[in-house]
Amino acid sequence: MLTYVIRRLFLVLVVVWGSATLAFGLLYLSGDPVNLMLPLDAGPEAREDLRRAYGFDRPLYAQYGRYLLKLTQGDFGTSLRSEEPALELVLQRMGPTLLLAGWGLLFAVAFGVPAGVLAAVRKGSLVELGTMTLALLGQSVPVFWLGLMLILVFGLKLHWLPISGAGSWKHLVLPTITVGTFVTASIARLTRSGVIQELRSDHVRTARAKGLSGRVVVYKHALRNAAIPVVTIIGLQLGALLSGAVITETIFAWPGIGRFVLIAVSQRDFPVVQTTVVIFALMLAFVNLVVDLAYLWLDPRVRYT
Amino acid sequence: MRKTILILILILSAALPAWALGNMLVIAQGVDATTLDPVNHQETPTANVAAQIFDNFYRRLPNGKYEPWLGTAKALDDLTWELTVKKGIRFHNGEELNAEVIKFNFDRLLNPKKPLKYSTYFKDIKSVKVTGPYTLKVTTSKPSPLFLTRLTYFWVVPKKYIEKKGDAYFANHPVGTGPYKFVRWVKDQEIVLEANNKYWAGKPKIKKVVFRPIPEASSRVAELVTGGVDIITNLSPEAVGVVNDSGVAEARTVPSIRNIFVVLDVKGEGPLHNRKVRQALNYAIDKEAIVKHVLGGYGVPVGCPLNPYIFGYDEELCEPYPYDPAKAKELLADAGYPDGFSFSMGSPSGRYLNDRQVAEAIVGQLAKIGVKVDLKVQEWSSYVGQILERKIPTDAWLIGWGNAQFDADNTLFTMLYGGTLVDAPPQSLFDYWQDPELDQVLLAAQSEMDVEERLDYYRDALWFIREGAPWIFLYQQKDIYGVNTRVKWQPRPDELIWAFDAEIK
Repeated sequence: MLTYVIRRLFLVLVVVWGSATLAFGLLYLSGDPVNLMLPLDAGPEAREDLRRAYGFDRPLYAQYGRYLLKLTQGDFGTSLRSEEPALELVLQRMGPTLLLAGWGLLFAVAFGVPAGVLAAVRKGSLVELGTMTLALLGQSVPVFWLGLMLILVFGLKLHWLPISGAGSWKHLVLPTITVGTFVTASIARLTRSGVIQELRSDHVRTARAKGLSGRVVVYKHALRNAAIPVVTIIGLQLGALLSGAVITETIFAWPGIGRFVLIAVSQRDFPVVQTTVVIFALMLAFVNLVVDLAYLWLDPRVRYT
Repeated sequence: MRKTILILILILSAALPAWALGNMLVIAQGVDATTLDPVNHQETPTANVAAQIFDNFYRRLPNGKYEPWLGTAKALDDLTWELTVKKGIRFHNGEELNAEVIKFNFDRLLNPKKPLKYSTYFKDIKSVKVTGPYTLKVTTSKPSPLFLTRLTYFWVVPKKYIEKKGDAYFANHPVGTGPYKFVRWVKDQEIVLEANNKYWAGKPKIKKVVFRPIPEASSRVAELVTGGVDIITNLSPEAVGVVNDSGVAEARTVPSIRNIFVVLDVKGEGPLHNRKVRQALNYAIDKEAIVKHVLGGYGVPVGCPLNPYIFGYDEELCEPYPYDPAKAKELLADAGYPDGFSFSMGSPSGRYLNDRQVAEAIVGQLAKIGVKVDLKVQEWSSYVGQILERKIPTDAWLIGWGNAQFDADNTLFTMLYGGTLVDAPPQSLFDYWQDPELDQVLLAAQSEMDVEERLDYYRDALWFIREGAPWIFLYQQKDIYGVNTRVKWQPRPDELIWAFDAEIK
């Protein structure tokens, strides 16, 4: 078990190195950031000065080596735009994004799991047709469109909720629904098929034969067993939540990392983009590890050696 | 049951209508400021925030002219300027403005070890000497007719405060002499400023100013029409109707300092090398139609690289080429291309108002005179990179130029100086057309201190450019803002939103 965790942690390092290299390579292929940092009429000397100041004039392997070396020391570099430490800038914006992703996930589990169970238990009824149609819609609706529709209805027409920005729980409602809908739908569909399968299985039949109440059978016997793929999907969906955050944060002017990195990409702010990629990779790798460990708790038969 | 409760909670806690903003001005721009150091950024949204907190030495007026602001500057001879600082001005922290502070500002900009993004405007300055408590002497390395214009970029920062707290702290906790004091900055969420009631130029009418970054254009419009914000930037022509029909806000526009045009790569022996062909292309484009149908009327056709705000503009020489396809065909035949020819053209997408659509319209109009254009649309940052490295793969490219110095030199020298003379600067990065006569007048104008003489030089320059037609001249763009009707404020050509000039009815 311990060796397993250590081995996985080592793999996390490999993932971080890989993503850092990829981010470095793609960014340097995409053009020179100095071009966007100075006014267009700045002279060629001014451009050269700036290139030298940031070390962009050195050979690529030297820049890459320096980047990796600094990375191992926890130095992510300085933003080209604001001249502040990139790590600080990214972490500042990570809070709002994790808050939004967390609420989105909570929303998804709170609505997705019960909806899935309901559809499974009432298989063949109108309830199932209704929830699954909604789930299909939830998975197919583009995040962008959903966000704008929510703004239109709850912000523009009804004046119930603020349209953009952050600062109170009210600001969280629409972005949470926007970012969580897709995940809610996938969780609902997955829960439904898992529970249906379990309800057909021998141990459920036995449980029913023992005379256990329907509720206990569904929740303790069927759902618990159906939970493993659902937990997997929750872990995987974190990636979807974070990338969905780019769009959601842009629509709702949410002060998170998604929108920040979008601007950083268009302005070629290399250190900020690289830092974000590395932090995201670290987070996803870590969550995957946590998901794998969660199996242990959910299914006593699972053993890692 | 639970659902009903949830809905009830939602209804009961419904957000208060956001229009209860009171004597506060909320401005929504597309992005947040990157820094609040007024001379170390390269973006209008940042400049707009900084302009509330800081004062510049000379101030730009809404009509494009400038006037003395924190002090005055007088030319003693072609190379020497005497600066006199206004007395009795204090920074928000109480620090006094004097000649030492101005010297500190020059030193900060001219420090070769740590160049700031505005340093480039002051590279002609050779030395700065304090000659009295409120006077300085500044010498330039060559006659500098743009000295006063460039003083509008000279945003003054406090000496003692920065020496004590450092540049990094200052960039996040700015202290200036301006009409508004810094309160707080929640990154990507809001920047809050409050009136500086001791402002030396008078007490600001609006008590509080808030800047909010809202990246998505339709969200900005939604906030505006529900009264959540007072002023939004970059309103699209398509959204003007929604805003005007809202009963809350209206669209206000101003011709901007930016011209849009197509640069033609005239080198080599291709058809674009021929002046008649280039003139034909200018005759073949219906500028009026493009402005009307593609830009929704938000543009003004112009037949030269300048526009009326810019020193050196000449109405007659900037008259747009008339739309005359017959004449265009005639010129093409004269040039030896009676059946037309083909070339490739690049355009950015999303950088300027409907830029890609304008490029497509050009393709369609040129087809009518038998000229086939292969259009390549690119994302801005790689597009501009190729242009700056002179590696753009197309024979022509659409671009805009916002002349922030309001002076012909900025546009003409940067975009069209050919570098054909000996012992003179090399060809400009953006120029493809070479005309020794033009180069001569552009250089002469750069060190001519007499205003009338300079105007004469630029009249000559415009004549050479009009005849040589190195570009397809298109139009001057208009900026569109959405403004709550309770706000008394008019947009300016330089894109500045100065809350000190605004008032809430």
